[in-house]
Amino acid sequence: MQLGKVIGTATSTVKHRSMEGWKLLIVQPYQVDGQTPDGDPQLAVDTLGAGKGELVLLSSDGRGTRDLLGDDTTPVRWSAIGIKDE
Amino acid sequence: MFIAKVTGSLVSTQKVDSMVGHKLMIVEPYRLDEKKRDGLVTTGRTFVAVDTVGAGEGEFVLVTQGSSARLTPETKDLPIDAVIIGIVNTVHVERACVFDREAKD
Amino acid sequence: MRIGKIIGKVTLSRAHPSMVGASYRLATPLAFADLRGEGTHEAEPFVVYDDLGAADGSLIAISEGGEAAQPFRPEPKPVDAYNAAILDHLHL
Repeated sequence: MQLGKVIGTATSTVKHRSMEGWKLLIVQPYQVDGQTPDGDPQLAVDTLGAGKGELVLLSSDGRGTRDLLGDDTTPVRWSAIGIKDE
Repeated sequence: MFIAKVTGSLVSTQKVDSMVGHKLMIVEPYRLDEKKRDGLVTTGRTFVAVDTVGAGEGEFVLVTQGSSARLTPETKDLPIDAVIIGIVNTVHVERACVFDREAKD
Repeated sequence: MRIGKIIGKVTLSRAHPSMVGASYRLATPLAFADLRGEGTHEAEPFVVYDDLGAADGSLIAISEGGEAAQPFRPEPKPVDAYNAAILDHLHL
């Protein structure tokens, strides 16, 4: 799991059916210091109502995301599974 | 997936049983020329990939990497991480042709 | 999934039987600076399997690695990059 900062959201009309109804966060992954960017921004499904500027805990567990979305065929891997306390 | 040129093949006599009968090719990933954006240029890297389509030396191919390389009937039981899944015919960037198999030959 | 910009397309003259008829797009993954309009869009483009009909210039969500092949389950398909969504708007 990894920390990331929510830098925005994305909307999409044409998408894989498993993503219907889910909010997509744009998250810049950070190293554990919460400051050093680590790779390109990722799109993650949001279960928590995370807002822009918040630090979230990202999981790359595709299986967990498949369970979350209730769809074995989803191409989504990343999900935000926690919001870091201030 | 990435585009690569087949630059040779690799022969291995002593190998794990599951690999017997599979053709191993040396592939060199190519990328779009960053500045001119009018052709493909080599990245200078090389890989070994299992061939499923009968690719020949000098041909440009499409290569799948990682665990997905095992998702063909031919490769499902192989300990591999790269597979050739197609022969590239054309590549267009912003509607301009940057690679044409016919023109290359 | 990373955000990518479609810059072109690839056609095959011969393909593995499980990949015949597929549409392949060339996409550049975008860095944070690219999203903010300050980047150079210079990351190496790669090939993405597309069954949603993305066009040149479209921004898409690129599923990579094993997840990219999940949509085809239970059929095995050697796909390592998949267009999961065509993005309408990024709210940054």
